[in-house]
Amino acid sequence: MAKPGYILLKLVEVGIIFFVILTALFFLFRLSPGDPISKMVDPMLTPEDMAHLIQQMGLDRPMWEQYLIYVKNFFTGHLGVSFHYGEPVETIIWDKLKWTILLFTTSTVLAAFVGVFLGKIAAWHKGSRLDNVMSISALVCYTLFIPWFALLLLWILGFQWGLFPLGGVLTPALWISNAPLITRILDVLHHLMLPLLTLFVINLGSYLLLMRSSMLSVLSEDYILTARAKGLSEKVIRNKHAARNAALPVITSVGLSLAFSINGGALTEQIFTWPGIGKELIFAVSNNDYPLAQACFLLIALVVLCANLIVDLLYAWLDPRITY
Amino acid sequence: MLNKYFMLRFYKGWQIFIQNPLGKTGVIILGVFMVMAIASFFVPLIDPMYDPMTGIDPDIKLSTGPSLTHWLGTDNVGRDILAQLLEGAKVAFVVGLSAAFFSIVIGTLVGMIAGYAGGLLDASLMRLADIIMVLPSLVILLILASLFGQFNIWIIVFIIAIMRWPAVSRVIRSQTLSLKHRPFIEASRVAGASHVRIIFRHIMPNVLPLAFLYMTFRVTAAILVEAALSFLGFGDPSQVSWGMMLQWVWKSGHMFQAPYWLIPPGLCISLLTLAFYMLGRAMDEVLDPRLRKEGQSG
Repeated sequence: MAKPGYILLKLVEVGIIFFVILTALFFLFRLSPGDPISKMVDPMLTPEDMAHLIQQMGLDRPMWEQYLIYVKNFFTGHLGVSFHYGEPVETIIWDKLKWTILLFTTSTVLAAFVGVFLGKIAAWHKGSRLDNVMSISALVCYTLFIPWFALLLLWILGFQWGLFPLGGVLTPALWISNAPLITRILDVLHHLMLPLLTLFVINLGSYLLLMRSSMLSVLSEDYILTARAKGLSEKVIRNKHAARNAALPVITSVGLSLAFSINGGALTEQIFTWPGIGKELIFAVSNNDYPLAQACFLLIALVVLCANLIVDLLYAWLDPRITY
Repeated sequence: MLNKYFMLRFYKGWQIFIQNPLGKTGVIILGVFMVMAIASFFVPLIDPMYDPMTGIDPDIKLSTGPSLTHWLGTDNVGRDILAQLLEGAKVAFVVGLSAAFFSIVIGTLVGMIAGYAGGLLDASLMRLADIIMVLPSLVILLILASLFGQFNIWIIVFIIAIMRWPAVSRVIRSQTLSLKHRPFIEASRVAGASHVRIIFRHIMPNVLPLAFLYMTFRVTAAILVEAALSFLGFGDPSQVSWGMMLQWVWKSGHMFQAPYWLIPPGLCISLLTLAFYMLGRAMDEVLDPRLRKEGQSG
């Protein structure tokens, strides 16, 4: 069980790291060519609106004051106004976040469960044909170039066979006509399938390989021999004794590999026009919508740090051997 | 004498490596891509229309399928896809190897200094490594590209290297920690060697093999990130790469009409990264006898 002191220490650490990132971003915006006003205030606005925004963000003040206002604005949730949407970026982000969460959690949880299950079996039958087939396929999944794989799925399953919609998250006609809730949920699930499949396949490979190697190292430990000597059945040894301990590093890897998954998630959202944070970030970057890009980036950084924090705490809680 | 010993060791390592099915497959795939990269220098010499960037077939105005003059077909402005694919192989090697090399250099330096110095310097360098390690490199590159405009290929390589050193430095650091109190280091310290000399003359030769093992995995990551960036339209516009070819087929709306154009670039990216990854795993087994025994007994 994690001690309260340890939790506090980790929280402070994450807070400091986030502050460093926040500060780095502030200076990057000031160091890049062009003046900050043109980066944070939409040049298409009326002079009064511009003056108001400049004042709100303190862009006419000296640098250190700008920085303090920037930090204050971040914590009060004022991240600027998007050039493209003409709305505060925080409302846009809230709107997009749910779609990213839906796609991300479903694909990660599914891939982790299936990966742990298959990795366990592969390690148990180490060296067999089954193990070889699974390991090689996992390697291939892991190194697949995500946009290409996504485009292939879109082409074959979406375009050629017409099984799934080619993009978006819902059928507008269905939502305007006030269809029953269950049809609407099924509609979203139907749209979810292709991006979900893409991320699932990509993540599955790494979880399988990790579980396999973790399981192999656990299987060579003495307590497995003890369990055998006690006369426990193979199934009990595999599932109760070995797999439970072997799954621990896989759980930590969910946090550590989040950076990798976010890259993949952004690409997947972009190709399937899934209206999430990743697609929004790419859109903002392509269209020089700086306030929106900045907000998306900060949100991603915050999520990554929180996920790693949760994993650290979870790990300390799950593994009683760890004391801090 | 020393050289002979090293040759023998290298030969033995190579024997184990090449007998490993992963290593063998990786080397074969890599060989094919190397031939492709070398061929890219000669193809534009055959006819200027085979230049991957500027060579336009005067008879072709649309994307056409495979033919005798264009083995893999052409893109929508009449450029030869095979020529672009060969050029892409060259670019992928340059990007992957140089980014990996730079990240190894940075990672090894930081790892050795952190491990050797210890204390506050060690702690702060490793915290920095932790922060960089969890940040998604593609997202960082996107933000930087939006602020600083289009990057040329070397800046992209350099940023990837900066994003990718932490994993290397962790391994090198722990290796340095175990070396630090060995008698030969203590002896050289007593003999009056400076810190710089100890790090570069005594520690570095012992950690370098490990650093180069990690290089193969860095290559994989670098190629994937560069391809993704080019795919999203933030690559070096003066340089054909596989990611950029995919972007062209996607943006020009040919992805459902031109499988001869859609399939090759992505297949090449996936195969090349797979080959480097296999190489890394096989090298792991050469350097770690424990893994090797597991693999062979099964």
